[in-house]
Amino acid sequence: MTERNVSSMRGATAIVGIGQTPYYKRGTAPEPELKLALRAITQAADDAGIDVRDIDGFISYASERSDPAKLMPALGTRECRFASLVWIHGGALAGTLNVAAGAILSGQADIVAIYRSMAEGNSQRLRVAVAQNDTSSQYLVNGLDSPAQILALRAQRLMEHHGVPRSALFATVQASYYHARNNSRALGRATEMTREIYDEARMISEPYRLFDCSRENDGAACVLVVSAERARDLRQTPAYVLSAPMGTMGGGGALEENWRPYYATAGQKELADRLWRESGYGPKDVDVAQIYMNMDAMGIGSMIDHGFFAMEEAGAFCTLDNLIAPSGRLPINTSGGDLAEGFIHGMGLIPEAVRQIRGTSVNQVPGARLSLVTGGPGDLMSSTALLGSADTL
Amino acid sequence: MSYSFEQHKIVGAIEADDDYWRGLEDGVLRLPRCASCRGWTWPAHFRCGQCGSWDFDWVAVEPRGRIFTYTRTHYAFDRVLERREDVPYVTVVAELPDAGNLRLIGVLKGDEADLAIGAPVRGTIDPPSAKSKFYPALRWELER
Ligand SMILES: [Zn+2]
Repeated sequence: MTERNVSSMRGATAIVGIGQTPYYKRGTAPEPELKLALRAITQAADDAGIDVRDIDGFISYASERSDPAKLMPALGTRECRFASLVWIHGGALAGTLNVAAGAILSGQADIVAIYRSMAEGNSQRLRVAVAQNDTSSQYLVNGLDSPAQILALRAQRLMEHHGVPRSALFATVQASYYHARNNSRALGRATEMTREIYDEARMISEPYRLFDCSRENDGAACVLVVSAERARDLRQTPAYVLSAPMGTMGGGGALEENWRPYYATAGQKELADRLWRESGYGPKDVDVAQIYMNMDAMGIGSMIDHGFFAMEEAGAFCTLDNLIAPSGRLPINTSGGDLAEGFIHGMGLIPEAVRQIRGTSVNQVPGARLSLVTGGPGDLMSSTALLGSADTL
Repeated sequence: MSYSFEQHKIVGAIEADDDYWRGLEDGVLRLPRCASCRGWTWPAHFRCGQCGSWDFDWVAVEPRGRIFTYTRTHYAFDRVLERREDVPYVTVVAELPDAGNLRLIGVLKGDEADLAIGAPVRGTIDPPSAKSKFYPALRWELER
């Protein structure tokens, strides 16, 4: 796309601070969820060179329990002027950036923390809150509980009907683990992923085996968003938010398995169209992508919906060489991502997208200028965001 | 008459499908069709998003269709532990040509040999049991 249809949000805000706690196996965090949130937020403020007390906006998503009211006394917050929880599940991830931009550009807040904290012992996310108790009887009566199973229905269709090969799924897994080896935070860093390990892992819900699924971990992550103006005076290289649309596919909504007209991908085509239009860039311009992978086939669906390749090209495009830094066609999940770094509802993806713009990733794509981060694929509402360096504005 | 599923209500979704479950408990597949524009709405809802009508007719539909997609579950997930001893089991999403190709979920019954997307299936109804959370359950069976 060459035409520039510039939205008023394009490049008007930037991410200037990132914070991430260590990741822990689910249920093993040595600290409570709220404390993990505090650590991620204070770390992001230190990273930005911002007094943590000056944060005046708080945004999270899904079933987050560390609400601003609980955080404020410990942060020394002077005044909270804006707070919002974004719908619905992990689909909200990238859209939080748009909510932050709206708050900042409308003068409601100056420094907005976007964060997510999870510690299974505290939140019982998997047992209670993963679906925010909104799982339909139509699923539960018929033996379907987990997103793994529901997304398996989509993957089965993607593979059997549309012909996306197993090798494409494996390539995304292998690329994630390949990148994880350089990341000391990554829980999968010790695994040298081979096709044998992948094939021999236990089946969860066909076509998904264990390594097709995201991890589910304890931890917290945070990014700080400010106006582009303010960002220029801060210590870090700003990662400008070029576009971060949220919403559904055409029609969309709580349609259970009745999504139409398209079903087997991520439901993000319309979002991606807006992303390219608002940012003025297209899939060929993207240097590096953090693709949300609740399940790997859904991440492939995201890449298809974003126009990186067509369904019938998935096998040829998704190879290890194409998906890894520094020189693949589209290096993805350069921290290890949701499959191999760890999964705190996708929130680790935004800091990594920022590091790529800063040039500080452990799997840096040299000179990366356009850095994509996608929201949870297959969620009832989803989102996607394109971050850019100053010269992309 | 009081229905089993009403005593074991699963809450949290749209919850406009009580007449679906009542129908199954009565042994009939009934699906909601707009009384005004005659369009099918599924999942069931309270208002027809196409024409704005609040009235639906719950129409008896022949339980037959084609497999749209499916998954074979190999793990006993927390909230469906009742099916632990059935693992692995197959859950099918089938499209119903007699109801605007809307898609209905059901656990596969019988032979799995010809399981494939596009395969024709026929539905039967299981009465409420612990396995289906004391709801009645539509079961899909491959046509032979
Ligand atoms: Zn109508």
